[in-house]
Amino acid sequence: MANMIMSSSKPLIPLCTIPTKPKFQILQTSIPKITTQKFPRSQILSLASSTLKSLSLLAATSLALAPPSLAAEIEKAALFDFDLTLPIIAGEFLFLMVALDKVYYSPLGKFMDERDAAIREKLGSVKDTSSEVKQLEEQAAAVMKAARAEISAALNKMKKETQTEVEQKLAEGRKKVEAELQEALASLEKQKEDTIKSLDSQISALSEEIVKKGHASNQCQDSAQQ
Amino acid sequence: MNVLLCSINTLKMLYDISTVEVGQHFYWQIGGFQVHAQVLITSWVVIAILLVSAIIAVRNPQTIPTDGQNFFEYVLEFIRDVSKTQIGEEYGPWVPFIGTMFLFIFVSNWSGALLPWKIIQLPHGELAAPTNDINTTVALALLTSVAYFYAGLSKKGLGYFGKYIQPTPILLPINILEDFTKPLSLSFRLFGNILADELVVVVLVSLVPLVVPIPVMFLGLFTSGIQALIFATLAAAYIGESMEGHH
Repeated sequence: MANMIMSSSKPLIPLCTIPTKPKFQILQTSIPKITTQKFPRSQILSLASSTLKSLSLLAATSLALAPPSLAAEIEKAALFDFDLTLPIIAGEFLFLMVALDKVYYSPLGKFMDERDAAIREKLGSVKDTSSEVKQLEEQAAAVMKAARAEISAALNKMKKETQTEVEQKLAEGRKKVEAELQEALASLEKQKEDTIKSLDSQISALSEEIVKKGHASNQCQDSAQQ
Repeated sequence: MNVLLCSINTLKMLYDISTVEVGQHFYWQIGGFQVHAQVLITSWVVIAILLVSAIIAVRNPQTIPTDGQNFFEYVLEFIRDVSKTQIGEEYGPWVPFIGTMFLFIFVSNWSGALLPWKIIQLPHGELAAPTNDINTTVALALLTSVAYFYAGLSKKGLGYFGKYIQPTPILLPINILEDFTKPLSLSFRLFGNILADELVVVVLVSLVPLVVPIPVMFLGLFTSGIQALIFATLAAAYIGESMEGHH
């Protein structure tokens, strides 16, 4: 198979070199093709330029009459040329694998794993303290809660005390005011009665006078009518 | 005739400028065998880059990583992630294989695009990414095959071969064929992509030497990275597949 592909890659060889005998035959057979292709085309296109002709001629002649100096550069184009390079490269690869494992994969991998483990450990310990912190926080919250309850109880107590005190005072004041009011009302009533009494006596005096005066006027009228 | 010779010369000159050296190798003889020297040289450079940078970065690891160490830690975590998703919980022993696969291919691919290899003239052929030679990719693919066979056999013993007649014995030929298509597809995918990428860039540069090839070069960098990832991921997937239990 390698030979087949090798032969298919032959056109990539420099055209002006002439390889060994079998290849020479191939090139010879290809010469007529080139000439028959190129001459009609130049005629059809009616370019008729001497350069084109000379180029095609040149191509043909350079293939046919290649100087022997060029033939010295003969080289088989070997794309699929297997030789001792293959096992040597395989050996080099294995050597590189072992060497890189020694200087790179193993030491650095080990180092990275150890660092990973260390970091994970540290992270774990950090997690522990976090639980501790949580506990402390809970304690603090409980203390705060108790204190707050205490304070609110004391506050309530104080509020109640002051309220009763205030109410007491309020009641006292109200009583006092009421008593004073009662007193004032009583005195007012007394004064009223007094005034009424005095008025009564005045009324009776006045009415007597009025009666007296009435009698007198009646007598006068009688006398006048008569 | 003089004109003709002249034009032959100009044609050859033009050809030399726009030369695309495909399948041209710089050969060394080792014993009775030939090797592609340009591949070996570039692969040594890649290996040197990887080892030296890793040694420098990881030499003295700090708890709080700085630049180089940070980057290498990132890469290692990436490799571990890839291995873990493909192989499962028992990915540990396979991290070096998958990681080296990824890093070697990645650095090779990028070295072909980023390192100025052309400064160094070779007598023949040219320096390029090691992965644009079929030998490299096939070597890596075969190693992957060996790796997943080893993974399966070491995990399940001979019971591993029971997977060939799963779910029905009718699929036996297809299951056997898979063992050949896996390395073939792995190697040819990588080889074709990298070679095609470099060819496209070279051809574009020879046509328009300014600005135009730049987007293609960036696309090439992207493709190279993706190919490295695909190769490593598939290798890990094959290993994971052969290790997973059949219920």
